[in-house]
Amino acid sequence: MNTADILVIGGGVIGAAVAYGLAERGAQVTLLDQGGIAPNASRGNFGLVWVQGKGLGMPRYAQWTLEAAQTWPKFSADLLEETGIDVDYQQPGGFEVCLGEEEFSLRKAELEQLRQETANCVANSVGIDKCEMLNSRNMQELIPEMRLGDFVSGASFSTLDGHLNPLLLLSALTAAIKKSGTSYYPDQQVESISFRNDCFDVQTTTERFSAKKVVLACGLGIKTLASQIGLEIPIHPQRGQILVTERTLPLLAQPFVTLRQTVEGSFMIGASHEDVGLDCGTTLDEIRRLARHAVQVFPELSKLQMVRCWGALRILTPDSKPIYVESENCPGAFVVTSHSGITLAPLHASRISHWIAEGTTPEGFEQFHSRRFDA
Amino acid sequence: MKQIYDLVIIGAGAAGMAAALEAKKYQISVLVLDEQSEVGGQIYRSVRTTQNLRPETYELLGADYQHGQTLENAFRKAGIEFLSGAAVWQVDPDRAVHFLRNGKSLQVGVRRLLVATGAMERPVPIPGWTLPGVMGAAAADVLLKSSGAVPSGRVVLSGSGPLLWLAASRLVEAEVEILAILETINFSSYLKALPYLPQALRAVEYLLKGLRLKRQVSRAGIPVFSGIQNLRAEGTQRLETVCFTHRGQSRKFELETLLLHEGIVPNTQLTRQLGCEHSWNKLQRYWHPLLDEWGNTSVEGVAVAGDGGIVAGALTAEASGHLAALEIACQLGAITKNQRDSASKSYRKAIRHHQAVRPFLEHLYPPNPETLVPPDDATLVCRCEEVSAAQIRQAVEWGALDLSQMKAFTRCGMGPCQGRMCALTVAEIVANTQGKSAQEVGFFRGRPPLKPITLGQLAGIAEC
Amino acid sequence: MLKRIQSSKSKKITIFFEEKQIAAYEGESVAAALLCSGVKHIRTAPVSGTSRAPYCWMGVCFECLLEIDGQPNLQSCLIPVQEGMKIRRHALNDGDSA
Repeated sequence: MNTADILVIGGGVIGAAVAYGLAERGAQVTLLDQGGIAPNASRGNFGLVWVQGKGLGMPRYAQWTLEAAQTWPKFSADLLEETGIDVDYQQPGGFEVCLGEEEFSLRKAELEQLRQETANCVANSVGIDKCEMLNSRNMQELIPEMRLGDFVSGASFSTLDGHLNPLLLLSALTAAIKKSGTSYYPDQQVESISFRNDCFDVQTTTERFSAKKVVLACGLGIKTLASQIGLEIPIHPQRGQILVTERTLPLLAQPFVTLRQTVEGSFMIGASHEDVGLDCGTTLDEIRRLARHAVQVFPELSKLQMVRCWGALRILTPDSKPIYVESENCPGAFVVTSHSGITLAPLHASRISHWIAEGTTPEGFEQFHSRRFDA
Repeated sequence: MKQIYDLVIIGAGAAGMAAALEAKKYQISVLVLDEQSEVGGQIYRSVRTTQNLRPETYELLGADYQHGQTLENAFRKAGIEFLSGAAVWQVDPDRAVHFLRNGKSLQVGVRRLLVATGAMERPVPIPGWTLPGVMGAAAADVLLKSSGAVPSGRVVLSGSGPLLWLAASRLVEAEVEILAILETINFSSYLKALPYLPQALRAVEYLLKGLRLKRQVSRAGIPVFSGIQNLRAEGTQRLETVCFTHRGQSRKFELETLLLHEGIVPNTQLTRQLGCEHSWNKLQRYWHPLLDEWGNTSVEGVAVAGDGGIVAGALTAEASGHLAALEIACQLGAITKNQRDSASKSYRKAIRHHQAVRPFLEHLYPPNPETLVPPDDATLVCRCEEVSAAQIRQAVEWGALDLSQMKAFTRCGMGPCQGRMCALTVAEIVANTQGKSAQEVGFFRGRPPLKPITLGQLAGIAEC
Repeated sequence: MLKRIQSSKSKKITIFFEEKQIAAYEGESVAAALLCSGVKHIRTAPVSGTSRAPYCWMGVCFECLLEIDGQPNLQSCLIPVQEGMKIRRHALNDGDSA
């Protein structure tokens, strides 16, 4: 039997960030990861640190996202200092591009709605005042190295948006965790959780673990495990396909929602939204559509080669916003899930781990409770 | 509307050509695709061009190579539909084969797919192997066939296996200056292979050929250093020196070209991506698709012939191509099972004969342990993304225990070669660091495309 | 780095590498023709910028990538030379043409 103060289940970018934060707070943490067989959303990720447009229908989420984006510069600097790994975080501002006039007016209306919904908040606490609509000419001025396609009508642009290398983020978090003395098990498939005498008993295929607190951060795996500790977590997978090109000269600093150039020089293009269960394969139709989109936005991309493509599963709640909840039946059991695990990583490592370690619920947190989905 | 063929054969080497010839006998519609500019694969690479344009080289390459001309002649006379310069980049689950040709992506439909993509030379990662001037020994042989060119200046060959000696003997004949042959096997390999000698004697011509090649090399006065270790290539812009240890002594040669060889391994990109089951060859330490006696894979409608199934040489590949085509003809209802079985007898006999020598060769020439797990931390394992052995070992420390995790941690396998050059080595290092076998560690997950394709080409594909 | 075995039948043709005229022979690959003409490397590695030349000569290692007649990233060890071909290294692979 292995014992720990806190057992974090899930070694993706959410579980790793939480475990990292907990270890920083001096907790004795054990992190269990399923290993290579997991449909790990962190590894298939597009790598955006994104604020604009988020929070429609939930101003608290807009604030939360903004706070994360503001924390990112320090968070990445800390990771670099601790591990020597630079996650390539950059915040040059980002575009959500519009093709044709209709998309442009739709996007404009969407942002206007968000502005109204968040009218009660101070504008700069939700970031909406950092977001503006640009026509294609103004947009082109910000992108001197690449010519926009004729069909581009403009974009919404926010100076808060940025991007990073998600694989390096995962590596850095994992390295920091190992350095902190956290026990890290990279190949543990959890089969069951039970709660007895204020203690959690977790059984994997090969080992048993016992802990006072347990954090479920294992993406789609949460659903089954949460039900064993009295929580119903309504999450479902949604596939996104991504393609990546060969490296080229640095041409594009700003990330788009649908394409970005990495520090290494390759372009990533994504992503689709498909409801196909657990299938994380690729389809010619989608890949072709992504290629067409990219070439429409930047015709000169047509010369670049796709070297790889993949499908990855987003983990979505019905309203696409995070669930942060502690079980009432089994106090000490927490669920942390969000499809914005990259953007929110600094808060998962700070506010969320603080909440789990100290039991003090952050302000306005009831909005993230899973009971919002109860019928 | 795309055209649908009964059979599409990918690869026009010995196996692919033989299969097409066999299938053609039964009025099956066949299309053969190959990324090269002409038929021949690697063993018979450019056989027609060499005969027509480079008669002196054709002469030098000898009878085994010239046998390819017989196949090529028959293939051409049979009027088999063949597209050269066609690089297959994707095979859809519904069996649409997509390939790039003359800068465009085209597609055909297929009822039965025969993968005859052959084998590749096992990459030999040593410190400095990315320097211009370092290449494969079989690669040098392919260069001779495809372009009538040989290394200029001083050459050293290092490694083990029949193709090392074949390449050396051809270079001797081409009057290339060879300074030395460094053998990575030692006397104990001979002892291990000895029990398989009686069986190998049934195909004595292979052994005689081997002896002839070695004699040719020794007659040329080329020194052979056996059991060498710690091989290292050095130079600034290009190769200048090769260093190694022999009988406890450090030695080095100044040279222009270093040719490395540690056997050959099947190309499994396509069968991986099609989801075929693979098994592990413990002795030669490579993955190959799991096949039945007719070349059928675990995926219905997909078969493999030739060295892409199991490395066994050109003549076995040719016979296996016939067998696979007979089976496919039978599956398509063109012939009965009885016809298939009786037509297959001579090919099975040929395979039994040629296979007799394999156990001996496989025991005599296992891949060098230093090739499997490079001991020097500075060795670049992934040439494309420049990931060193040290970085792979470090990532294991951090918890990357399988190849997907390793890719995520280090970017190895993410360059244009898509892991072809590093997958086997990465798996061996990961396994070795954890005290597991490479078989347990597995392989890179096959990500499309099989060959890079431009976004413009992708975007230009017609819907269907 | 490479040399040709004398051939009595191959026709001499002209190709262009980085604007410079180079003699080549019908029926040989682009990569071989360049390395037979004193070109010392084919591409530079995108990560470190070090010089590279083909390792495998059979389409596996991708160390032979060149732009040929405007088409980027072609495996030049698989492509036969043709009269007047215009060949260059890639933008990322700029280096001296030697």
